[in-house]
Amino acid sequence: MTHRSRRLTKVATAVLLAAIAFVFAFPLFYLIATSLKTKADLFAPVPSLFPPAPTIDPYTSVLFARGFGGLLVNSIIVGLSSTFLAICIAFAICYPITRLPASPRVRAFVLNWALSLRFLPPVAVVIPYFAVIRAIGLYNQLPALILVYTIFNLPLAIWMLRGFLDEIPIEIEEAALVDGASRWYAFRTILLPLSRTAILAVVIIVFAFDWAEFLFAFILTATPQAMTFPVGVQGLVTQFEIIWNDMAAGGVIAILIPLSLMLIARRHVMTGLTFGVIREK
Amino acid sequence: MSVAPAQPIRIGGRIRTAWNARSRQERLVYQLLLPVFGTVFVLATIPFILAVIQAVTSDSRGFIGLENFGRALGNPLLYESIKQTAIYAAIALPVEILGGLGIALLVHRSVRSNVIRAAIYIAAMIPIVIPQIAVGVVFRLVFAPDYGILNVLLGQTGPSQPLWLSSPYLAMIATATVDIWQWTPFVYLVVFAGFQTVPSESVEAAQVDGATTWTQFRHIELPYLRPLLLLVLFFRIADVVRVFDHVYVLTGGGPGTTTQFLSLYIYRIGFKFSDLGQASALAVVVMVVMIAFYTIVSRFLPADRG
Repeated sequence: MTHRSRRLTKVATAVLLAAIAFVFAFPLFYLIATSLKTKADLFAPVPSLFPPAPTIDPYTSVLFARGFGGLLVNSIIVGLSSTFLAICIAFAICYPITRLPASPRVRAFVLNWALSLRFLPPVAVVIPYFAVIRAIGLYNQLPALILVYTIFNLPLAIWMLRGFLDEIPIEIEEAALVDGASRWYAFRTILLPLSRTAILAVVIIVFAFDWAEFLFAFILTATPQAMTFPVGVQGLVTQFEIIWNDMAAGGVIAILIPLSLMLIARRHVMTGLTFGVIREK
Repeated sequence: MSVAPAQPIRIGGRIRTAWNARSRQERLVYQLLLPVFGTVFVLATIPFILAVIQAVTSDSRGFIGLENFGRALGNPLLYESIKQTAIYAAIALPVEILGGLGIALLVHRSVRSNVIRAAIYIAAMIPIVIPQIAVGVVFRLVFAPDYGILNVLLGQTGPSQPLWLSSPYLAMIATATVDIWQWTPFVYLVVFAGFQTVPSESVEAAQVDGATTWTQFRHIELPYLRPLLLLVLFFRIADVVRVFDHVYVLTGGGPGTTTQFLSLYIYRIGFKFSDLGQASALAVVVMVVMIAFYTIVSRFLPADRG
């Protein structure tokens, strides 16, 4: 290849990548631009790409006037509770299969069962849950969502945690056990501190998934008392006359939390999404 | 750290203690695992059993046998929704997989700077982590008539503008485009990670032997990528069956039933028509099919099985 044609290829590649980036980024740009427009800007004959008079009114309107602040609180309560439960349960399940001589069959059964849940469509699962939750009086209550989210994000937590625990050498704990430490003591003073990063990664990813969940919350809640933020955003999109700037502001808020969490835990996002098949080193 | 006093033990005793310790540890596995795993296993399996019970009973008539299954499987709208789901998958999945593969190949071959690679890595993660509902919001702003940016850019704002979300063919293309926008980066990230696992010695050896770019891809790199591409395909198929959020807010399944994909169809039977009997029968069928699908594909997944 000549020097000149190599240069040409390089420029062509750069242009192509820039074009792809533009196509992917542009819709998000328009979302943010819309979320900063005033009501009057929305009625311009040709919608503008840059808000002529940027304002944060749509955000205050969504959070306060429309009362979505309460939905935000619901989302956070549900997310934190079920993330906490999921990580505790995941630890109780991953400890024996990574730290104790569990038979390969038990290990494979647990992991396979967890992964198989990933293949069940939520709509099929929610139909029987809907009937039970209504029957036991938990309909339109946060505990119902916490329960369902915990169960259906558990596979993710188990697979991620399993991957991390497998990488922490067992020898230090064994040395402590030989020295006469109790299992609980070894867990508390050796394994738990060593898996701090792992716990943080699992917590962030699971919380982000809880935050984004829509269908369960949509079907199992009815009023702002228990609705989560995505359910509220859905209302902004499907109402008869869409208020574009409010809808866009709702979208931006919904995106902001998982996006910032994922940026913090960026090395573990793909691990979470592929159940540990892709590992970032 | 507390240390137990050393105890003098005879040789035979030591073997015995080791053996006891081992079986004690194995017992501990079950003691720890059973209560917790048992509980979540039951809680996650209960819906299936309940769905079966709901499907074969009726509030007013008690046990009704397979009537609901008959109604569910005899409903022509079911097959219509399966067909639409298949068309959606046939549009979205090849574009996502070939597009993701193509971009990964491009970046892997021509971007050497680690900073740019890291920037692309983070940029590619953005669409994936956006909640599906927010993706629906984003694409309302793209496809809507009058305010939507697509028609503005196309210079089509008059009464004859294309109605991306409310004309049959366009609605299918619009919803599939959203899927492509969100998941091509996912394929890219998986495949790009796969490229990094190809040993550089093999690539260099092939280049010394004068392999063209294509043969290098076909015979050296593709074998490393194949298990990952299969993984992506299986996950994406499972996801297509789940597709709900963005379609619900973009088209609501319309116009007519043109974007009423499987999950939307089941939702409609269960919650719009309040026919929970038929919906339960559908849920049972879908769960059985998906578990069967999982059982088959899990053998091909590259993850270690225990």
